[in-house]
Amino acid sequence: MADSAEHISCQEVVELVSDYLERSLPPDETTLFEQHLNFCDGCDWYVEQLKRTVETVGEIREEHVPAEAKERLVRAFRDWKRS
Amino acid sequence: MIAYKFLRDDTTSVFTGFAWPLPGDGPGSWVEAPVEQCRSGIHACRAADLPLWAGRRLYEIELSGEIVEQQTKVVASRGRLLRRLEAWDALRDEYTRMCAERSHELALGASPPLTEWDAAVEPSVREGPALLGFVAARIAEEISGVDAYHAERARQADWLAERLDLRQNRPPGQGAPA
Amino acid sequence: MTRAQAHPRASSTASDEAQLVARLRAGDEQAFEALVEEYYATMLSVARGYVRSRALAEEVVQDAWLGVLKGIDRFEGRSSLKTWIMRILVNIAMTRGVREARSQPFSSFAVDDDEPAVDADRFRDAGDGFPGHWRAYPRDWSTLPDGALLGRETLGVVMQAIEQLPDAQRVVITMRDVAGCQADEVCEALDVSEGNQRVLLHRARSRVRAALERHFDG
Repeated sequence: MADSAEHISCQEVVELVSDYLERSLPPDETTLFEQHLNFCDGCDWYVEQLKRTVETVGEIREEHVPAEAKERLVRAFRDWKRS
Repeated sequence: MIAYKFLRDDTTSVFTGFAWPLPGDGPGSWVEAPVEQCRSGIHACRAADLPLWAGRRLYEIELSGEIVEQQTKVVASRGRLLRRLEAWDALRDEYTRMCAERSHELALGASPPLTEWDAAVEPSVREGPALLGFVAARIAEEISGVDAYHAERARQADWLAERLDLRQNRPPGQGAPA
Repeated sequence: MTRAQAHPRASSTASDEAQLVARLRAGDEQAFEALVEEYYATMLSVARGYVRSRALAEEVVQDAWLGVLKGIDRFEGRSSLKTWIMRILVNIAMTRGVREARSQPFSSFAVDDDEPAVDADRFRDAGDGFPGHWRAYPRDWSTLPDGALLGRETLGVVMQAIEQLPDAQRVVITMRDVAGCQADEVCEALDVSEGNQRVLLHRARSRVRAALERHFDG
């Protein structure tokens, strides 16, 4: 295989998506990645799926602190304040 | 420098979704974006790169400022769209068909014939010029190696340059297509 | 896109933080409560990467907050408040995890085996022509009904998928994508290399995507 690949496959793309979204792919790989996305609807949709997955994960609202745990912490805070 | 740029049907950039100012009576307004490896900058292609980035709408773009030529694209800090190359709209299907025929020719002409590869050609046609360009070049590579991939891409670029009336930066001639 | 970009609450400026620390030191109970509300669930999730039961994890989180209070007067702001809190938590969780002698070995953040993002059999092989390309395309989720991805049912699928992740992956995706910590904050808090953090995040996201895909494809 040549020093730099001319193209990457879908199987390679799915391993690179997370890094691509983080913008931590090296420049050559980014170009190959985008070239591939330009012709491959399947990978385009896969990248979109990954993006939407991350968005949905981000929608998880932090569960409220259980009341009892919160009380303990507030008491601890007041103790600390006094000391 | 004069170069080319494909945009989506809604005239936004393919990868960033940026809405480009369009040419009207004159060129579209200048867009500035400092060049930063893969993060920022105006991306465009030369005539030889057109098959790699084939998309929906084709424009001629003027680049200035800092210009970095890379292997398969050009990145610049300033750009403005000069004119839409409407000929591409009519040419898209014909180009796709040309690549499909080349794919069949290459795959079935190999010994032994690449029947599995050939079977994938027609179902791919609806996905358009970018995919079929890849398919043809990839088949060429499978038969005769990486140089054949590049040769096939060069054929595709020549085919387009001849029909698109590109003002500048035509790919270096490769001789008449077989 | 990380949660930190989508949700301003998850990120804070240096001056916001300085104000918050000042309020804590001054004994502002509301400031403390707000801080607890913001980080509790993330801390619980991280703690559960180290100790076996939820009850134990809750103990760990309580201890961590005590550690925060004890140390707040000495906090110098060299790292972000969030990172500093997470470090305290991780130290306590690790110590506790070792002491409780989990039946499973402590999940390290080492990444030495292979885990493909998508099953290899979904791609063509050499005999099919175009090896490495999709046999059948994944679905276009933009065709899903509006709000399908943000509905309660979908969130449930995602939460369950995260629950079922291997510990190290769950800790990283919780800190990055749920809590909105930056990559370097996570590396610092967990003492994980940048490379490993990226691989763990990639694997976690891939598994959650697969869970969503199974959910939508029925």
